[in-house]
Amino acid sequence: MTELKAVHERKHVWRNEFLLIISLIVFVGVVYALDGAVKPVFTTSTLLLTGVFLALVPAAVWLVFFYMQDRLEPEPKGYVLGVFTLGALFAAAVGVPLVENIFRVSHWIYASTTATILGGILVVGFTQEFLKYAAVRYSIYHSNEFDEATDGVIYATAAGLGYATVLNIQFVVSNGGVDLGTGIIRMAVVALAQAAFSGITGYFLGRAKFESEQIWWMPLGITLAAIFNGTFNWLRGLVSQTSVSLSGASANPWPGLALAAIVAFATTGVVLWLVRRNLTVQAGK
Amino acid sequence: MENKKVSLGDRYAEATVFIVTVIALLAGWFYKSSVENSSIPFNVEGITAQAPKGWLQSQPAGDELLRTTDRSSSGYNTTYILRKIPLAADTSAAQVASLLTLSHGQDLLAFRVLEQREVTVFDKTAYEISYVYVESNPDLTHKNIPSVVRGADYIFVNGNYAVAVSYWADEKNYDLDLSRFHLFLESISY
Repeated sequence: MTELKAVHERKHVWRNEFLLIISLIVFVGVVYALDGAVKPVFTTSTLLLTGVFLALVPAAVWLVFFYMQDRLEPEPKGYVLGVFTLGALFAAAVGVPLVENIFRVSHWIYASTTATILGGILVVGFTQEFLKYAAVRYSIYHSNEFDEATDGVIYATAAGLGYATVLNIQFVVSNGGVDLGTGIIRMAVVALAQAAFSGITGYFLGRAKFESEQIWWMPLGITLAAIFNGTFNWLRGLVSQTSVSLSGASANPWPGLALAAIVAFATTGVVLWLVRRNLTVQAGK
Repeated sequence: MENKKVSLGDRYAEATVFIVTVIALLAGWFYKSSVENSSIPFNVEGITAQAPKGWLQSQPAGDELLRTTDRSSSGYNTTYILRKIPLAADTSAAQVASLLTLSHGQDLLAFRVLEQREVTVFDKTAYEISYVYVESNPDLTHKNIPSVVRGADYIFVNGNYAVAVSYWADEKNYDLDLSRFHLFLESISY
């Protein structure tokens, strides 16, 4: 691995991550309240368009925060947007077809708890985390613009939000639109989760570039992110499912949002702590 | 975007990530197959089979010994039906096929036979009818657009009875679910 050193931290990166989590929860609350109060009536096409618009909101929120705060040593906005687009393209061209059409996970992943966890990790988790890693690794990673360990988190988050946007658009389109209240919660959950797991991959990518890590370092990062990804999806199903009847199971999406927010806060906090600890060690050397 | 030269260590790390991902996906594929192909034993009136595990299964009724449905399949839920039909002496499989075709024509909407022929199925001689129909849900409040269903019947004659095995799947899933049905078909003994 290349032995460049990057020994300072960009505080705004973490501020952006935390602001994304908080603003998404606020946004969900506002849309949910508005939906309940106004009870808007949509035609099929306006419902679809509204759903697609809402699917773009989480990424837009993060990009706006990023644009506003990345002033000290600005990251090229075009590159961030490019990695976001690449994450979205990988999801649309490879990730979604592989998971939905080749592995057909919806046919077997809910067969048992073991199937949900193992399928979530081995198929969904590894596919998503590898593609997000690839979006960074095969674009910006070797560029001079990727000049700090924290850049791994920035670009991986961009790729993750690109991936989340495609997952949300696919959800909206395949359902011919979504109920605004529950739809916005689902979109926020997907965006928060993808951003959080991307943070793990990004941390490993950053250290892989600037420190002499072992050959197993990056596979470990992808594996950890995939394990978190699969376990989160199982837990979300567990906390969201409220009742089971003959006609099927009914779900309450709020606990899923709470779980996603906790996971996102915790993951960002742990990655922040790891980066800081690493910077301290580097500065000591 | 100016790229720096990639070191040998980077190349190894890159290859390792790729290999680990491929291994995980292969493990996922094998696990998927084991879940999809898991089965439970079925034994009614001397006919045994390995029915898919986790599918909705109905109790025997009339000549229908088994009707099992995959609730997780999209569109029309993939269904296997196993019938035991009593026969008069010297009734051929083709004659049973004609009777079944007539019955389907009365029960199923827009029923069309695509092909019928004698085949060998896992070393047993059978008569195969391939057909298509439109799912007709009698519930008027059912909001979904009707699905086009593809079906196949395999008729095995054994002395004074015939065993008819039907496979019904949404037209979009028919080919994808076929290998699972072949496992079920292979497991049947009478």
